[in-house]
Amino acid sequence: MSEAKEQILNLKHLKKSYGNHQVLRDISFNVNKGEIVTIIGPSGGGKSTTLRCINLLEEPTGGEIDFHGKNILAPNFNRNIYRAKVGMVFQQFNLFENKNVLENCMVGQELVLKRSKKEAHDIALTNLKTVGMGAYINAKPQQLSGGQQQRVAIARTVSMNPEVLLFDEPTSALDPEMVGDVLDAMKKLAKAGFTMIMVTHEMAFARDISDEILFINDGVIAEKGAPEQIFNHPKEKVTQKFLHNFKRNEL
Amino acid sequence: MKSRFKWVTAIIAVLVSLIIGFNFNNQQTLAAKKDPNVLKIGMEANYPPYNWTQTNNANGAIPIEGSHTYANGYDVKIANIIGKRLGRKVVVVKTEWDGLLPALTSGKIDLIIAGMSPTAQRRKAINFSKPYRQGTFVVLTKNSSKYANAKTLNDFKGAKLTAQQGTVHYELIKQLKGAHREPAMRDFAAMRQSLISGTIDGYVAENTEAESLKMVYPNAKAITISKMPGFHVSKDESTTSIGIDKKNKQLLNDVNKILATIPNNKRNKLMSQAVRQQPNSGNSTSKGAKKENWIVSTVKQYGGMIIGGVGMTLLLALVGTIIGFIIGLLVSIVRTIPTPSTRYKNWLLNFIKWLLSVYVEIFRGTPMMVQAAAIYYGIAQFWHINLNRTVAALFIVSINTGAYLAEVIRGGITSTPEGQFEAASALGMTHTQSMWHIILPQAIKNCLPSITNEFIVNIKDTSVLSIISVSELFFVGSTIASQTFQFFPTYLMISVIYLVLTFTVTEIFNFIEKKLIGDKNYNLNTNQIQVSTAKDAGANN
Repeated sequence: MSEAKEQILNLKHLKKSYGNHQVLRDISFNVNKGEIVTIIGPSGGGKSTTLRCINLLEEPTGGEIDFHGKNILAPNFNRNIYRAKVGMVFQQFNLFENKNVLENCMVGQELVLKRSKKEAHDIALTNLKTVGMGAYINAKPQQLSGGQQQRVAIARTVSMNPEVLLFDEPTSALDPEMVGDVLDAMKKLAKAGFTMIMVTHEMAFARDISDEILFINDGVIAEKGAPEQIFNHPKEKVTQKFLHNFKRNEL
Repeated sequence: MKSRFKWVTAIIAVLVSLIIGFNFNNQQTLAAKKDPNVLKIGMEANYPPYNWTQTNNANGAIPIEGSHTYANGYDVKIANIIGKRLGRKVVVVKTEWDGLLPALTSGKIDLIIAGMSPTAQRRKAINFSKPYRQGTFVVLTKNSSKYANAKTLNDFKGAKLTAQQGTVHYELIKQLKGAHREPAMRDFAAMRQSLISGTIDGYVAENTEAESLKMVYPNAKAITISKMPGFHVSKDESTTSIGIDKKNKQLLNDVNKILATIPNNKRNKLMSQAVRQQPNSGNSTSKGAKKENWIVSTVKQYGGMIIGGVGMTLLLALVGTIIGFIIGLLVSIVRTIPTPSTRYKNWLLNFIKWLLSVYVEIFRGTPMMVQAAAIYYGIAQFWHINLNRTVAALFIVSINTGAYLAEVIRGGITSTPEGQFEAASALGMTHTQSMWHIILPQAIKNCLPSITNEFIVNIKDTSVLSIISVSELFFVGSTIASQTFQFFPTYLMISVIYLVLTFTVTEIFNFIEKKLIGDKNYNLNTNQIQVSTAKDAGANN
């Protein structure tokens, strides 16, 4: 994976504040093609905000985000085309409630990528089968369980052929028995070579799948490194404490 | 989804075509333009023996514009003479009493021949011809009334008296010392009914009204007050004249010349003819050999009118709700546009949003009846745009409904979960795309009960459009009531029709709503079968 090291995303001193409350103080990191970066850290530390800034669901108040070397915050940058290339999977799935499973996966392709109905249909169906939802193409979102909805949401995002996939706590809203199916779907994507940035509390999963772990606390990256290093030999006190608490809770 | 839309469209299409079928004849008058060979006469067509409405053209009646009915009476006979001499075709424009002056000054009619007295007040607004009728004033009461033998103006002490709204008659009650001046009434039909039912002791009118009332109600007693000592009335007020727009001096001269050729004895002859010909409740029952059921005879005589009224009511409510829905949709879309990036665009958007909120507030904050009167007569008077009555009514219902639905749909949009917006923009959709494909379909579905409700409200509330004389169901009902004197049965029948209409519409929309929500269960069933197959498929993989 590391042979070419083509840089896709480059965050430089990203800042975000709501009024006087500074959520992100200074976040800088790179994501290379094919890399899987996992953000961990305590609640309210800025993990999700970082992810939402990359997708521009939140407008950064300082710093720069470069996509293939171009600043996405520049006034003339076409944000809609960019967003189509950066897929997002939400904690609450956010499937379009007025559309069935198949339409959910087709609408973005048709409207944004201008694909033909036939092409969009075939791509959507392939991806739905990949996540194990091929049998539910006519169901409405509200008829599915959380885990099923999340897998459809993944298929919807993948159908746009994005260069980067963002996962914002994709399993946090699910019943425990649903988590496995969603993680399996994500593993498949990882094996297929997708570039992924995810925020998760599934530590074991993060350790197995990630190339790099970022520990974000209080609006800054407190520590980063390979999974083996972060999980087994954390250097920083905050990281140690966080992981310690986490392990205790899991027992 | 698509098939469901088609289904809804089909129902609407059927309804629309039905209504257009009903109103085909009315629609044709929509296209009618002002024709110099037509003399448009404004009258209530509800004030016998001066003027009334009938269903056929017997006794030289002339057609009422925009309906299948005819007008006749003393005024119509005078109008016929004037029309013949001028060489113009006479058409009656049935207009509420209060609407007559504005209709004239705004050019919707050429002449008012409506038993109107040329008071000083009215002379400020319009010109009057020489009188075409000299009247004496009477108080109409019952034989059994304790005021039946009144000899002086003071003998009406304690009597509850009324007269028609906006007439000289109503002012005359002040001269009857000690009498209670009850609120004025809209038309003679209402006063007759009040007298007969005993809610008033009497009403002030002209002696011609006394003659006609006695024909339908023999117990009526007329007490002439014109000759009583101390009674004072200006010459203007005791005569009736033809109203002509101040700008039209030529027509005034012509009318005066023609009136001069009609001698007094001819006038009296025409009036007694009118008194004999006027419709009354006795006529319709005595025509048939056996006494027909009231409902049967009413339906026979007025069935066409009632169906026309139902058609007009449904047309107004349906088209008004559909156009109002489109207006409301556009307004709410604009009002939920996010703040644009450039300053100039931002300013422009804020300005448009402000205008739209002004529109919504004004039309939600004023009664539709007032809006109708202001728009229909106001536009004609100030900008000289002569709106067709049906078009004006459609316009009013539409923008009124639009203002209500704008708020309803905006509520639907803002209550759509934030995640739906986020997911759409995360896929790269523009604001317009996410609105159109994701947000609005959900918002409208959630608003459907409110939209149904607005449609039902419209069916009922279009009745206030009788103020601009649109012949919808209520207007038809009051016409029938005033001709048959069967107030209670007529309005009861009209109520039942309204109830049937609103009930049917409610059921149709409930059915549509159930269809929209109901397939949830259907899919769930098929999915339960699919669940097992899905697991099998998963195992095979």
